[in-house]
Amino acid sequence: MHDSESDMSHPMNKNEEYCLSLKKIGIDAETKPLDTDVVEQENYYSKHFTNSPAMVTNHGIIKLKGSNIDEVQIIQKG
Amino acid sequence: MTQNLNPISWGAQDRYQAHFIVKTHQRDVSEENFLARPKLETKGYFASKRVTGVQWIGGTLADTLNSDAELKNMITRLSYADAHITVEPTKGNIRIYGKWKDSYNFVMTKELFAVYDRIASHIKRELGSPPVQS
Repeated sequence: MHDSESDMSHPMNKNEEYCLSLKKIGIDAETKPLDTDVVEQENYYSKHFTNSPAMVTNHGIIKLKGSNIDEVQIIQKG
Repeated sequence: MTQNLNPISWGAQDRYQAHFIVKTHQRDVSEENFLARPKLETKGYFASKRVTGVQWIGGTLADTLNSDAELKNMITRLSYADAHITVEPTKGNIRIYGKWKDSYNFVMTKELFAVYDRIASHIKRELGSPPVQS
């Protein structure tokens, strides 16, 4: 008897995963390749708030269309 | 050798955050004007904790957000964790983000996106750009 779960795994970037969740709720979203946007070069926090993390990992940018938000950046702690 | 009972966590953790960015297009903006965080009025405890009121604290953007009754209504319909929204300007961009979430809960809902989009529309208006009607 075969298991219903596929043996093939499809590793997906966190950026692509989040982009899919945006598309599911009807947002026109598209991922951009890593390190291709100026937003990724700047500081991700202004340090006005004391609980901003010292170290974060950038997972890339998602470009939005038809919304007041221009881009979404996915960040991981540590 | 004794074992450290309180080890400091290091490396990438299972905590994710999505920053919703409104670009200022190199306009010279006062950072303090665009800082905003809500002070939440709540009812109940633990899992049944609900948001009953919102008071934005920060710069001039906070005053604008406080005057939007519909936005306050929308935030009271969010979960307590999702209602913790921060608006923070960085060089050339204004970022809207919520609390850190683990990979299992790291998804966007229609209601939360509508709140972020409405905050972004107020930011655009303050920057002098026409907001997108969605």
